[in-house]
Amino acid sequence: MPRRVDRQRSLSGGFVSRGLASRGMAWRGVVQGVILGAVLAALPGGGASAENVKPDPNGLPPHQIEDLHYGDVLFYFFQEDYFQAITRLLAAQELHRIPHSEDEAELLLGGLYLSLGEHVEAGRIFDALLNSHTTEAVRNRAWYYLGKVWYERGYLEESERALRQVSDKIDPRINAERYMLLAQLLMRENRYDDAITALRAWHGAPGWTAYAQFNLGVALVRRDRLADAIPLLDAVGRLRSGSEEFLALKDKANLALGFSLLQSQRAAEARPILERVRIEGPYSSKALLGVGWADANLGEFKRALVPWLALHKRNLLDSAVQESYLAVPYAFSELHADGQAAEYYNSAIESFDGEVQQIDASIADIRAGKLLDRLLGDDKKDTVTWYWQLQHLPDAPETRYLYQLLASNDFQEGLKNYRELNYMSCNLESWRDSLTAFDDIIDTKQRAYAERVPKADAVIASTNLDALNARRTDFESRIDEIEQTNDVAALGTPEEQATWARLKRIEDYLAAHPDDPDLEEMREKHRLMKGVVYWHLSESFKARLWNERRSVRELGVALKETQKRSLLVQQARNSIPAGNGEYAARVADVRARMDTLQARLADIAEQQNRYLQSLAIDELEAQKRRIETYQIQARYALATIYDRASNGTTKSNAAGKSDGAPKEQP
Amino acid sequence: MNSKNRLVWVTWRAGLLACAWAAASLTAGAQAPAPAPAAAAPGATSAAAAPTATAATATAPAAATAEPPPPSVPAPAAEAPGTNGDVRSLDQEVQGAKKDVIDLNKDLFVLEEELLFPANTQVAVFVSMDVGTFFALDSITIKIDNKEVANYLYTAREADALLKGGVHRIYLGNQKVGKHELVAFFTGKGPAERDYRRGATLEFDKGVGAKYLELKITDKVPKHQPEFSVKDWE
Repeated sequence: MPRRVDRQRSLSGGFVSRGLASRGMAWRGVVQGVILGAVLAALPGGGASAENVKPDPNGLPPHQIEDLHYGDVLFYFFQEDYFQAITRLLAAQELHRIPHSEDEAELLLGGLYLSLGEHVEAGRIFDALLNSHTTEAVRNRAWYYLGKVWYERGYLEESERALRQVSDKIDPRINAERYMLLAQLLMRENRYDDAITALRAWHGAPGWTAYAQFNLGVALVRRDRLADAIPLLDAVGRLRSGSEEFLALKDKANLALGFSLLQSQRAAEARPILERVRIEGPYSSKALLGVGWADANLGEFKRALVPWLALHKRNLLDSAVQESYLAVPYAFSELHADGQAAEYYNSAIESFDGEVQQIDASIADIRAGKLLDRLLGDDKKDTVTWYWQLQHLPDAPETRYLYQLLASNDFQEGLKNYRELNYMSCNLESWRDSLTAFDDIIDTKQRAYAERVPKADAVIASTNLDALNARRTDFESRIDEIEQTNDVAALGTPEEQATWARLKRIEDYLAAHPDDPDLEEMREKHRLMKGVVYWHLSESFKARLWNERRSVRELGVALKETQKRSLLVQQARNSIPAGNGEYAARVADVRARMDTLQARLADIAEQQNRYLQSLAIDELEAQKRRIETYQIQARYALATIYDRASNGTTKSNAAGKSDGAPKEQP
Repeated sequence: MNSKNRLVWVTWRAGLLACAWAAASLTAGAQAPAPAPAAAAPGATSAAAAPTATAATATAPAAATAEPPPPSVPAPAAEAPGTNGDVRSLDQEVQGAKKDVIDLNKDLFVLEEELLFPANTQVAVFVSMDVGTFFALDSITIKIDNKEVANYLYTAREADALLKGGVHRIYLGNQKVGKHELVAFFTGKGPAERDYRRGATLEFDKGVGAKYLELKITDKVPKHQPEFSVKDWE
C-alpha cells in the first residue's frame, strides 16, 4: 500500500520548530517529537510531493505501510489520541495483524507508553529495541526523550544514563538541549563542580548560549565563586532582545546577580543591577525589595522607601510584598518617624491577621478534600497525555496561596497522575455497560443455538451426501456411455424422446408384420420421419452432451461446497457451546479484573490525593508560619517603639546606647 | 536600635536575604522544559522555598550569623511530606495500575471485536489517502449490497491524520459468505475548490475468513485529478 506523506512537515510541525520557538515549555512538541522519532519508519513516504522534500537527517528512509491495522493505529496516533492508539496497537499485535510492521510497531509502542507517562514500560521497550537494528537517529531521539521524561519524574540516575547514551550525531538544537538538561540534572543533584565543567565545555546553538551562561553563573555562585560568576550573569543581564523569553531570563540573571552582591555586602554594585529588572515583569517585586535593601544598606532609608512603598501597594500574597510590610515601618523607624512606623506596623499586624485566618480556612478546605475537585473541575477528561498541564486555576481561596506550589513540578506531576487515574477509572467504567451487553449477546447466541440445533440436526440427518455423490458418479458414467454409444436420443428433449419412443413402437409393430402389403406406405413414412428426427437429434447432440457434462461439473462443485458447509455446520454445532462458554469465561475474567483494578485505582488515587493535599497543606502552613513570624517581628518592633515613646527616648538615642544600626547593614 | 530590636531585625534580614537569594539563584535552569527544582518557584516565598535557603542563611550578612535564629523562623519546606522514595514508590504504583488498565482495555477491545464481529462474517473497510493535493475529503458513504452501512463526516483533524499516513477503519460489520457489492461515495473539495463527489465500486467475495477492503484516495498527477479506488486485501 504505497502512500506518501509530507514527512518534513510532520517533523517540523511536531517537534523541531516548537522546540526551538519555545524551548522552555514545548512539552507537546516534545511528545510528538519522540513519537515521531520513534515512528518515522511508519510514516509513508515517496511520491510526487515528497520527492521534492530533502531527506531529514534524523529520519528514516521513506517507508510504506503494509498493514492496514498499523495505519489504523497511526490514524489515532496522528490525532494525539494516544490511549486509543495504544489499545489498537496492542490488539493488533495480539491478533497478529501487523506482520510487516513489527519493529516499527514496537518502537511506536515505546513512544506511546512514553506519551502516556509510562516511562518504566517505555524504558523497557527501548532498552530491548534500541540496538543495532535501529538507526542512530532513532536511538538518539528515543534516549533523549526518555531521559527528559525521567528527569521530569525525578528519576535522575536513569535520566543521566539515558541522556549519556545519546551520541553527538543528532540535531544540534536537540544536542544543545541535551547538554543543558545534563547540566541541570547535575545541579539538581548538587554536583555543581561537575555542572561547571559540563557547562564550560558546552558549545551549542547561539540561542542557548544565554541559558548556558546563566546556569554556569548560578553554579559558580553556589560554589562561592562570585567573582567568576559576575561577568557571566552580567552578560545575560545585559542581553538585547525583544522576546519575552529572553527578557524573563535577563530579569532572572539581574535578580540573581543583584542579590548575590547584596549578600556579599556589595550594595552599591547590586543596586544598578537590580534596577535593570523590568518594573512590569514577574520578578519586579523581588527586585523592588532588593533595591530597597541596597539603599538601606547604604544608609539611604529615605530612598529605600520609594521602592518599598511601591511594593507595599501590591498584593499581599507575594512574599516580597509581605516583607515590605515590615521594611517600610523599619525605614520610617530608621528615619526617626516613629509615628508612621507604628502606624505601618499596626497595619501590617492587621493584614497578617487576615491572611492567617484565610490560610487557616484554606487548610480546612483542603483537608475536606476540595482542592483537587476544584482544580480539575473544568478539566476535559477526554485525553490522557503526559504533557498535560493545569491551564487555569479556579478562583478559590486556597489557590491564591498556592500559585507557586501548583506550578511546581512535583505538584503538576502528582496532579497529572491523579487525573490519569481518574481517566483510567472512567474508561473502565465505560466498559461496564458493554460487559452487560456481552453477557446478553452470549445468552442470545446460546438460545439461538438451542433453537437451531434440532433443525440443523434434522437437515444433516436427511441429507445423505454419500448417496448424492454416488448419483453424481452414476450420472457421469451414463453421460460417458451415451457419448460412447452415440445415443443421440438419450439427450433429446422430453417431446423428442416421446416422439422417438413412438417411432420405436411403430418400428417394432412394422417389424412384427413384415409381409403386410397394407403397411408399405406406413413403412415409407416411418423411415422418413425417423430420419428427420434422428437428423435433428444428431445435430444438437454435441451441444447437449457439452451441457450435460457442464451440469455434472457444476453438480460436483455444488456437492463439494455442500460437503464443506456440512463440515462447518458440524464443527459449529460442536464448537459453539464451547465457544460460548469460552466467551462467558473471558467476560467473567475481565469483569473480575475490572473490579479489582477499579478498587486499586481508587486506592492509589486516594494516596495521590493525600500526597497532593499534604503538599498543599505544608506549603500553606509554611506560609502561615512565615506570616506569623512577621507578625511577631512587627509586634516586637511596635512594642519597642512604644517602649521608646514611653521612656521618652528617640531612636537615635536608643541606637547610640546599643551597638548602632549601621553595623547591621550588609 | 536596642538589642531586642536588633535581634528581630537581624533574623528577619537574614531570612529575607536567604529567601531572596534562593528565589533569584533558583531560577537556574529556567531555560529547560524541565526546570531545576528551585526554578519552579521563581517568586519563591521566603526562606522556606528552597534547598539553598539554609546555605544562603549561613552566608547571609555577618550580623545575621551573630545572633541565633528565632525559634519561629520557618523550617525549610523543600522536602515534600513524603520522602522521595515514597513519591517514587507511589509513582511506580500509578505506572503499574495504568499499565494494567491499558492491558485490560486491550483485552476488552479484542473480546468485543471477536464477539460482535467473528472472523467468519467480519468485513472491515478502511480509508487511506495519499497526498491530497487535488482533493480535500469531507465525507464518505458506503453501501454494501445497496444498503447504507456507513456514513462518516471527517473533521479537519481526522482528514489531517489521513494525510499524514493514518488509515481509518470506517466500517466494521458482519456479512454473509458469498458475493457482495460495495459502493463508496466520496464528497469533498476537488481541484480549484470545487465541490466534488465521486463513487467507486467493487464486487467482492466474502469467504470464511475476515475480509478487508481499502478505499484509496490518490492524486492522479498527470490529470491533476483525484482518483478513487477500492482494493480487496486478500
